Amino acid sequence: MGRNRSFIEAEVVAQCAEIFRSTGYEGTSIDDLVQATGLHRGSLYKAFGSKRGLFVLALRQSAGPAMPTHDSTDLLLVALMELAPRDPEIRSIAFGILSGVAPRHTPQSLGERLLERAREPRANEATTKDSA
Amino acid sequence: MNIITLTDTMLVVEPQGLDKVWSFKRKLEIPLSHVRGATFDPGANQEPKGLRAPGLALPGKWAGTFNKDGDKSFWNVSAPSETVVIELIDEHYARLVLTVGQPRSVVDAINVAVQPG
Repeated sequence: MGRNRSFIEAEVVAQCAEIFRSTGYEGTSIDDLVQATGLHRGSLYKAFGSKRGLFVLALRQSAGPAMPTHDSTDLLLVALMELAPRDPEIRSIAFGILSGVAPRHTPQSLGERLLERAREPRANEATTKDSA
Repeated sequence: MNIITLTDTMLVVEPQGLDKVWSFKRKLEIPLSHVRGATFDPGANQEPKGLRAPGLALPGKWAGTFNKDGDKSFWNVSAPSETVVIELIDEHYARLVLTVGQPRSVVDAINVAVQPG
């Protein structure tokens, strides 16, 4: 009997996916998600159940029919690095994406993306350099 | 502080020591099918908690039933940095906010236990 859900779920999930991609799963707090979405903490919990529930939706949403983008690959890498080893359902979603109809990801392409991502300067790194 | 135990079908929460008195609960037993998920959330304690009835609210200590936006939450928080939030469905409480030892392991164990299959 709470308030009506007056937000677009897919939009909220996409906003959260962005945070998960840039700070990782464990590095993302509920405070970060509250700030990014502008929703109340209680509304987030009510709509998605948990941070993990949000991550599952983000991972499924990013693995749409289109070709993988850097963004969707990065989220998949976060899932594989942080959650897959200890969470059977997320492991199965991640490997489901990997073994999709068309071979969109290969160990080679994932590794290349990981190295490329490591070289991309983050916004905060650029700021630190500027002020130095 | 709370001890959380998982059985094959239930999530059991036991407030420890005097927390039983403050929170007016000796034990909460929730079927796993009514548990939507758990989150490690040290920031939860910064939020407005709503109206308390019955329970205790002191600086650094919140225990009992709180009402907000038509939802009842059960709080037993004494160390905000070790807080987990457990979201429920079809239960008296919509949400449990609890201080537990080793919050990350507790959260992982609950989230794995409630997965289908």
